[in-house]
Amino acid sequence: MLDKAYYFIMVPMVYLAFAWCIVGITMKILGIFKAPPHPFTLRIFPDSKTPLFRAFLDTFTFPTIREHRPLLWVFLVLFHAAFAVLIIAHLDLIPQLRIASKDSPHMIGHGIVGLVLTVSVLYLLLRRFRSPVREFSVPSDYVLLLLLFLVFITGDVISWANSWSESGFVLTKQDFGKYLSGLVRFTFQDPSDALSGGHYSVVVAHVLLVNLFIMVLPFSKIMHSFFALPLNALRRIP
Amino acid sequence: MDEKQREKLLELFAGKLTRAARLYLDNCTRCGVCVEACHVYASMPETRYTAVNRAQNMRRLYEKYFKLSGKIASWWNEAVELDDAWMEKVYETAYTCTGCRRCMTFCPFGIDTGLIQSIAKLLLVGADMEPKVLTMLANVSVSKGKNIEATKAAFAEAVKGLEAEVIEKWQSEAGEGVIPLEVKGANVLYVALAGKHSIIPAAAIMNAAKEHWSLSYFEAVNFGAFVGNPETTKQIAQRIIDEAERLQVKEVVICECGTAYRVMKHMTGKHSFNVITFMELIARYLQEGRIKLDKSKVTGRITYHDPCQIARQGGIYEEPRYVLQQLTDDFVDLQPNRRANWCCGGGGGLVIMGDKDFRMKSAKVKVDQVKASGADILATACENCHSQLTDLMAHYKMDTKVQFVSGLVADALVQEQAARKSPGLKVVDKAAADALNGSQGELKRKAG
Repeated sequence: MLDKAYYFIMVPMVYLAFAWCIVGITMKILGIFKAPPHPFTLRIFPDSKTPLFRAFLDTFTFPTIREHRPLLWVFLVLFHAAFAVLIIAHLDLIPQLRIASKDSPHMIGHGIVGLVLTVSVLYLLLRRFRSPVREFSVPSDYVLLLLLFLVFITGDVISWANSWSESGFVLTKQDFGKYLSGLVRFTFQDPSDALSGGHYSVVVAHVLLVNLFIMVLPFSKIMHSFFALPLNALRRIP
Repeated sequence: MDEKQREKLLELFAGKLTRAARLYLDNCTRCGVCVEACHVYASMPETRYTAVNRAQNMRRLYEKYFKLSGKIASWWNEAVELDDAWMEKVYETAYTCTGCRRCMTFCPFGIDTGLIQSIAKLLLVGADMEPKVLTMLANVSVSKGKNIEATKAAFAEAVKGLEAEVIEKWQSEAGEGVIPLEVKGANVLYVALAGKHSIIPAAAIMNAAKEHWSLSYFEAVNFGAFVGNPETTKQIAQRIIDEAERLQVKEVVICECGTAYRVMKHMTGKHSFNVITFMELIARYLQEGRIKLDKSKVTGRITYHDPCQIARQGGIYEEPRYVLQQLTDDFVDLQPNRRANWCCGGGGGLVIMGDKDFRMKSAKVKVDQVKASGADILATACENCHSQLTDLMAHYKMDTKVQFVSGLVADALVQEQAARKSPGLKVVDKAAADALNGSQGELKRKAG
């Protein structure tokens, strides 16, 4: 029974989660861009000679946060930068997309990326419990951060604890490569064949949490990752 | 609230869901960076006055009625039912927001809480819960637009009564009259407020510059924008647009009224004429040498309050400063200033709505800012700001005098011989005629 549940989480649920997410994001984007444009400018002055470039900078460097909340800015920069590296590092696990050395047993970042994400998301979660942020936070704010925290913690276990054995990695990068390669080729192969050993249950937990995160994403404020640029453009562009 | 009314209000809400509104309502991360942006929160640190919390009142309704997540799991983003109790909450946050949009400069996404509050205000109008004084004034403006022919004669008569006071400031004029009306093909259609303080200095300045101008029959202020009714806002602005097009003027110059400027410049589309503030016109006159100012007329340190609607939302930062620097060598900027300047706390119709106690408490941060400047004169270029700042200075027992930039300029105009002897000038007042004939003494007596 447990084997079946593990298989469902590791294979069909991944597809379902991605399909759900893609449909959700598409509907969200269409919903926004099908709405009528605002009848007048919403820009704030002074004007910039390169408004699109400024909107781009606003989106990727968060200058207003740096000015008004420097500590939050540090954690947000760490979080976003590490998240970008994390996506690349996961793509690197797929043999067909490999960027790093083929024989390297380590994920890109050597586990440091996961630690940075864990610490920064913990900061983002804990600050929610302090006034005044606590007063206007809603359940989804906590749930999303908690979900991310658990995703990162299980990821850290896979990165770190998995390597603390006498013979090195219990589950190697190549093992994960086999699993992901099966997923992208729709082989529906049981991943437990490739990911054998005691750490498999941690991997399943990690994938389950990621599936949940991906399914929640289109209905959450994390959609700001798609809309931050158009939002900032409203403030800049005439 | 019955179902029929709820549906009506939700229809109003849906009608305001533009692409921008959806982006603003969907993407707040509640990071709290905007918290200290609001002058109300900075003066009275209560969470309900933060930009994020003001927006949350509307966002939670949006969640309930316009999002799938709100329909299937209302707890997720704390979606709420639209009912009378919630509308009371909406009222409290909507009509304590001056629409200064300072929070927009703090938000990492640039979310416009002012726009979200405009949806809130429309719902309140729909629920007949808006401040009635604002609606009444807006309706009077609309009605005046519809019946302008009936009021023209009375308006012309009233304006005629102001001419002597204009001549006291500047004893000769360029064209059709001291305060010309209905001038076809004028360079400037000046849109004043319903008060002589907005007409007399402006007329003196434009006459001194020998401008070919005309006074609008309509007052600039747009009460429709204050109350949050887009239809009335449009109707009020349209009166002026129609007049400007009928007279085929080159420029519509908006008096010292921030909302009027923003509505006309940025919210009514493109026109056959240019729209500028009176600050820009004065700066242009000074740059072109069409008027000269006597620095000895102003004593003491001057500072300038950037009205949110013409500065942060209109881009007019340097012109007023340039003008004031022609009036004094002791100009200091408030800190912070320009884009980061604190709102005076009187915008969004708050000055008209009363509740002086709230206005005074919520703008304490503004008072501290003025105090720190050490200024004797606090100049500004907006009627709302002027009224609020005057109340603030009195309430906090400060000696700083609040003045319009135009008033300071009009009082410092240098009357040059050349101007008075200029051919083509038409004398329309006996006092002015005497002055032009050399009776300087009488003019001086009139000028006091």
